[in-house]
Amino acid sequence: MSITYLEAIREAQAKLLRDDERVFIYGQDVGGTFGGAFKATKGLAKEFPGRVLNTPISEDAIVGAAIGAAMQGMRPIVEMQFADFSSIALNQILNNAGTHYWRTNVPVPITVRLPSGGTKGSGPFHSQSMELIYAHYPGLIVMTPATVEDAYTMLIEAVAIDDPVIYCEHKYLYYHLKADKLPEKGLPTGRARIAREGRDLTIVSYSAMMQESLAAAEELTREGFEVEVVDLRTVKPLDTDTLLASVARTGRLLCIGESFPWGGATAEVIARVTSQGFHLLDAAPQRLNAKDTPIPYHPNLWNAHRPNAQKIATKARALLRE
Amino acid sequence: MPQIPIIMPQLGESIAEATIVDIKVKPGDEVADDQEIIDVETNKAVMGVTTPCKGKIDKITVQLKETYPVGAVLGYVEASEADAARFAKQAPPTPQREVAEEIPTRADQEVAAARERKTAERDGEGARMGDLPVPAVTKGATFMSPRVRARMAELQLTTADLAGIMGTGAGNRVTIKDLESFLHKIENQTAHEASAIRAGVADAMRRSWTRPLSTIGSSVNLDPLLHDRQSRDPKPGPGLYALRALALALSKNPIAAAKLIGNRVVQSNSIDVGIAVEAEDGIMVPVIRGADKTSLLDLTTKYKELVDLARQRRISPDMQTGGIATVSNFGTFGMEWGTPIPLPDQTLLLGLGAGKKVPSWDEEKKKFVPKTEAQITLSFDHRSIDGGGAGRLLKRVIELLENPKEL
Repeated sequence: MSITYLEAIREAQAKLLRDDERVFIYGQDVGGTFGGAFKATKGLAKEFPGRVLNTPISEDAIVGAAIGAAMQGMRPIVEMQFADFSSIALNQILNNAGTHYWRTNVPVPITVRLPSGGTKGSGPFHSQSMELIYAHYPGLIVMTPATVEDAYTMLIEAVAIDDPVIYCEHKYLYYHLKADKLPEKGLPTGRARIAREGRDLTIVSYSAMMQESLAAAEELTREGFEVEVVDLRTVKPLDTDTLLASVARTGRLLCIGESFPWGGATAEVIARVTSQGFHLLDAAPQRLNAKDTPIPYHPNLWNAHRPNAQKIATKARALLRE
Repeated sequence: MPQIPIIMPQLGESIAEATIVDIKVKPGDEVADDQEIIDVETNKAVMGVTTPCKGKIDKITVQLKETYPVGAVLGYVEASEADAARFAKQAPPTPQREVAEEIPTRADQEVAAARERKTAERDGEGARMGDLPVPAVTKGATFMSPRVRARMAELQLTTADLAGIMGTGAGNRVTIKDLESFLHKIENQTAHEASAIRAGVADAMRRSWTRPLSTIGSSVNLDPLLHDRQSRDPKPGPGLYALRALALALSKNPIAAAKLIGNRVVQSNSIDVGIAVEAEDGIMVPVIRGADKTSLLDLTTKYKELVDLARQRRISPDMQTGGIATVSNFGTFGMEWGTPIPLPDQTLLLGLGAGKKVPSWDEEKKKFVPKTEAQITLSFDHRSIDGGGAGRLLKRVIELLENPKEL
């Protein structure tokens, strides 16, 4: 049996609907026979009648309604059609969901699924990575699964968590990434994973860029370098201990992110490692992000815009020679 | 006729630049295809650069001993149309610049200025920010990463301890891996804990060596001193004569022993002079306070006490501090000449070599006469005092030693 990243997300939702009657799915075109823009909920409306609900085209209203349901004891999963569109729900997510428990002691256990990141030809409004925005505000957990296994277990974990969770699923991985089977249990939320062990350089990454980083590490093996790849899994909370332990082994740090270069998870990782582990660094830490422009449509320009295995390897090579 | 560039080839993996060590042709020379015309040296080997095609050397645009990056144009060959066409066919396609590099973005524009600065620095103009020169790169033999620094601090290592490591990092800097493998290597060698006194001397000498030290020397006739010595009881050693002479010379000219600290010339109120005594595994320097006001007889008694204490390692630290100059009688080891290092908190060190009989021309008798001569040296911190000042002080010391009644 082979299961894709997208199927893992569907399976996780099916299991959640099956195991917990408080769970329902709320989003544009998720119900009926359509099953969502990417078919992440395909067949679920039929299997779980009345629990996979279509909404109006108002992200603000979708999240607002989900917050209300969560306050009343439900465990809603909200599907945004594209992560980019969640900007319309920012007020509900940041100001209401993010602050509610801290203001009232009443938790808001919503899960917002954000189909994130670039795919060929998707252009500026259907390619963006929003984790920086949500990680910046207190009160939210931001998950960025990079593997089929994590896509499955982390979504289940997201619904179990009492805090609002922003679940950033990567559209490029939907069909590209496959696994043999789904695990029962994953690492705890907030724990990073050493995806590949090495001694010469630590590459820290997450989501689709973690896969590109692994490919770059493989390429560098042929040149005699052993590169360690750390998969953040959740960008918030950020597992500083695992990062420091890895840099303690390697002395060199390269952070890769697909989001825009200003701020973000890569900058946060470098800030933490530099301030807490300055003595561990044998070379200035580096990072590689997408370019500081809107994301282009044209496939060639898109390739130029985002990091990929080849560019990561080039950057890593330079750092390894420092 | 077409001009074909002679390019610095890729000389191996991880080689970014090479230095021109020999140019075997000059403009106008006829060259064959693939002829070695320029020798370049990388950090790994000397290699030849060959002509791109048959033709005549038009010009060589590089200088001997200068370093150029891979891909740099070293010169041009003037070739016939046919040879040039053949070259074009053989030459690998010029690598397409990454598309990404061609998209000007706001962020790229921000870094463009920095990149220009870096290029300027490479071209020898020096990077500047505002009106100040700034380091453009963190590489080079003297760059120490935070990791290397922290590890050195942990193991109480100094840069001097790392002198034996050849760095493999950028610009030959010592990486943490270089340091760890060096430490691993010495683990297999015989080693023992250095004694406290050895570590103390090492630390003092290392600190002292951070200064521009210089040594001058002259010869001194020891016969008057040796003769004078016979008349005294107890008999002072030549080192003590030297100490007393230095103290008297300094009492007339205390500024010679002043220390320069920042832009202040710091001068002691008392002529306290130390004398180096060899102890087991190190050196101790007991200090004689007010040596200019202590007679040679009292000095001899005092010295004996201090040496006894020093040899028993019972001399306290405050008996060894506060000196303004030190005398080292390295002649006791049979050495004639040396360049001793002043103590780190002192400007001067007077060294006395072993005396030996030498023939000396006597102008009155018109013949050579035997004389006991020794070399006397003065090592000094050149920030505080110059050759002239040090020379005059040493001359005065010699005068006193050659007229020991004054001591």
